[in-house]
Amino acid sequence: MLRTIAHRLTLAPLTLLLVSFVTFIILRVTGNPVDIYLDINRTPEQVAALTERLHLDKPLLVQYLIYLRDLVQGDFGQSLQYGGPAIDAVITSIGPTLRLLSAALLLAVTLGTVAGLVAAVYRDRFPDAVLSALAVAGQSMPSFWLGILLIQLFALKMQWLPTSGSGGFKYLILPALTLSAVLLPNFMLVTRTAVLDLMNEQFVATARAKGLSRIRILLTHILPNAANPLLSFLGIQIGTLMGGSIITESIFGWPGIGRLMISAVSNRDAPVVLATVFLVSITIILANLVVDVLHSIIDPRIRH
Amino acid sequence: MRTRIVPVLAALFSLSATTLAFSAEKTLSVAAAVFPRSLQTGQSSFAALSLIAQTNEALVGRDNAGNISPGLALKWEAVNETTTRFHLRQGVKWHDGKDFTAEDVAFTINRIVDPKVGYGLLARIGQVSGAKVVDKYTVDITTKTIFPTLVRGLSDIVIEPKHYYEQAGEQAVIQRPIGTGPFIYKTYVPGDRYELTANKDYWGGAPKYENLVIRQIPEAATRVASLIAGETQIIEEVPVDLIEQIESSGRAKIDEITTSAGLILTYDVRKPPFNNPKVREAFDYAINKPAIFKEILKSRGEILDGQLLTKSTLGYNPEIKARPYDPEKAKALLKEAGFNFKTTVPLATQSGKYTSDVDIANVVAGMLNEIGVNATVNVVEGGVWSQMSTALEMGPLHMIAWYSLGDADFSSVWFTKLGKRSVWINEEYDALFTKARSTSSEEERVKYYNEMMALMHKENPAMFLFGLPSIYAVSNSITGFGAASDKVLRVNKAELK
Repeated sequence: MLRTIAHRLTLAPLTLLLVSFVTFIILRVTGNPVDIYLDINRTPEQVAALTERLHLDKPLLVQYLIYLRDLVQGDFGQSLQYGGPAIDAVITSIGPTLRLLSAALLLAVTLGTVAGLVAAVYRDRFPDAVLSALAVAGQSMPSFWLGILLIQLFALKMQWLPTSGSGGFKYLILPALTLSAVLLPNFMLVTRTAVLDLMNEQFVATARAKGLSRIRILLTHILPNAANPLLSFLGIQIGTLMGGSIITESIFGWPGIGRLMISAVSNRDAPVVLATVFLVSITIILANLVVDVLHSIIDPRIRH
Repeated sequence: MRTRIVPVLAALFSLSATTLAFSAEKTLSVAAAVFPRSLQTGQSSFAALSLIAQTNEALVGRDNAGNISPGLALKWEAVNETTTRFHLRQGVKWHDGKDFTAEDVAFTINRIVDPKVGYGLLARIGQVSGAKVVDKYTVDITTKTIFPTLVRGLSDIVIEPKHYYEQAGEQAVIQRPIGTGPFIYKTYVPGDRYELTANKDYWGGAPKYENLVIRQIPEAATRVASLIAGETQIIEEVPVDLIEQIESSGRAKIDEITTSAGLILTYDVRKPPFNNPKVREAFDYAINKPAIFKEILKSRGEILDGQLLTKSTLGYNPEIKARPYDPEKAKALLKEAGFNFKTTVPLATQSGKYTSDVDIANVVAGMLNEIGVNATVNVVEGGVWSQMSTALEMGPLHMIAWYSLGDADFSSVWFTKLGKRSVWINEEYDALFTKARSTSSEEERVKYYNEMMALMHKENPAMFLFGLPSIYAVSNSITGFGAASDKVLRVNKAELK
């Protein structure tokens, strides 16, 4: 297993390199920071100074290599928007995003598993029909719309929760719910399918023949075996969740990395964009690694 | 396992140390759409000035309607053509208790006129060469040439404390600004909130509440919800389609004012088809401006009178009227001009930059389609836009707004060679602009600007659409707040019921 981890970790820098290269080139090709940061009354000296500072006078590839050289020394560069080190801006906003992501993940996984189980057990009966219909509705509902709907209902009508902003636990509920909706319906459907597949397996028939209770079979025989497809699914969806957080953060005024990223992209603040992409990529790589490790713990066959 | 998860969850969802208000302290909460990247002075965005103006003040004050009034300077007079003397308000103190004096003014002006500092608003006082202390409360500001917009320009330049810069350095000033204004810095979290406390010793009278919180809520529907839910009392940038929701809530009302921004459609007059003046004129006749104003802007703001300037701007020409909507005449003019109806005319616009920008662009394109012009809307992302704009390659048609801040000089400059933004260059226009800049007689300046507006109306370098509105929504529990034409938040006179 250690070998698997080591192997994956050696691949990680390659992924990061590729991601940073593509991001860097796209940013540079689609907008010139000099045009954004110096207004029309700029002097040629100002243009020359900024161009030199950002190495814009050099070929793109050289610019990228300079960026890499600084990066190796742990320097993500100075944020053009904020003045300070780019990494500082990213670190202050990654906390709120991680909080939001973990809450959404927790919600999606617990609710999704329970709903999936119920739907599978009551296959083609009323609970299944309702839950599956809800899942399809949830899948096709844009988070943007759902977010506003939740605000209208829970913050305006019921007045239980705040509309937006960050603070205590109650500020987290609506954004987490909105973000979890990106994942929850799919998670439920995957659980349902996995459980249904397993129900036809011989070991389930054996367990039933032994006279075990239905609930016991479900929890101790079927669910552990369903964990594998669910984990794989989760690994793929973490990126989607990250993407979904950008919209959710905007709706709820949540001060996270998604909004930082939007403003950094539109201001062509390359150091911040790259630092963000870097951290997000690392998060996704690590999350997938954790998923893989869990896989091999759950299923010994994968270890070989 | 469970015992281990609980503390982790608790840490994840840890309550931040926001104090719950059990005290009698009153807090005013404002929701802004855009936050600046930092509190650094000189950033040329309204969002930045709006936050900075809570703590720091300029020599010259400006009210919601754009009128000039005494600020940190009580009065001013011309010493000679290029020197203006400012008599400062006495007894004003910085938030740290030190006296505000002429030293601070001279320090601020001399610091920012150095191009190396990169002060974004320097263009407002572009002709200023420096400032000199005359005595503790008198300061002379000198300009390179006659500079008629000096006083108005200074209303955007906040004065900063010399002693604080010298003690703590520029970064500290940005991180923790000290001013003379009605509110004192408490904490700033970019993208989230700006918290301030009332300055009880404010020379203009202490605010009637203790705390001011300005929150950034980028999504308009959420801003509106926060107001109706009572979490905020004032919200900025209300989109016209949400006005009804606010009015029908019974908890808040709309407060609006026309800004000095003229929204226009600029033609690329260098290339066909718009190098032909007849085509430009035809396009002007093809657009039903009153209908767009009524349906899209819900009659907020104003319809421009065939010129760049809004009605309240110095230099506005009352004799010019917008061309009427006349699609038949438009078609006839296009035929006369030999317009090729097969060419696509893309209309470039940004999204969310101005009130209802994309909606307006779509309707304009639709009206052009009605007279047989193959017009399309091209929504351009901000970074790409600035690149196109610097290269002066905006495509055949682009929608943009120019702010005059009450004086024609500030917006008309963008059509001169000097402004470096115009593809339409007219020697006569440029000469008039130079004349207007070289006299301090307001009467003469108005005359020149009137002529410039008439010239533009005749030549049609752009189609003049609307004076954009600035729309706020205010809770019924607030009095003493008004919408600002320059979008700078002025809340120190507000009262909470």
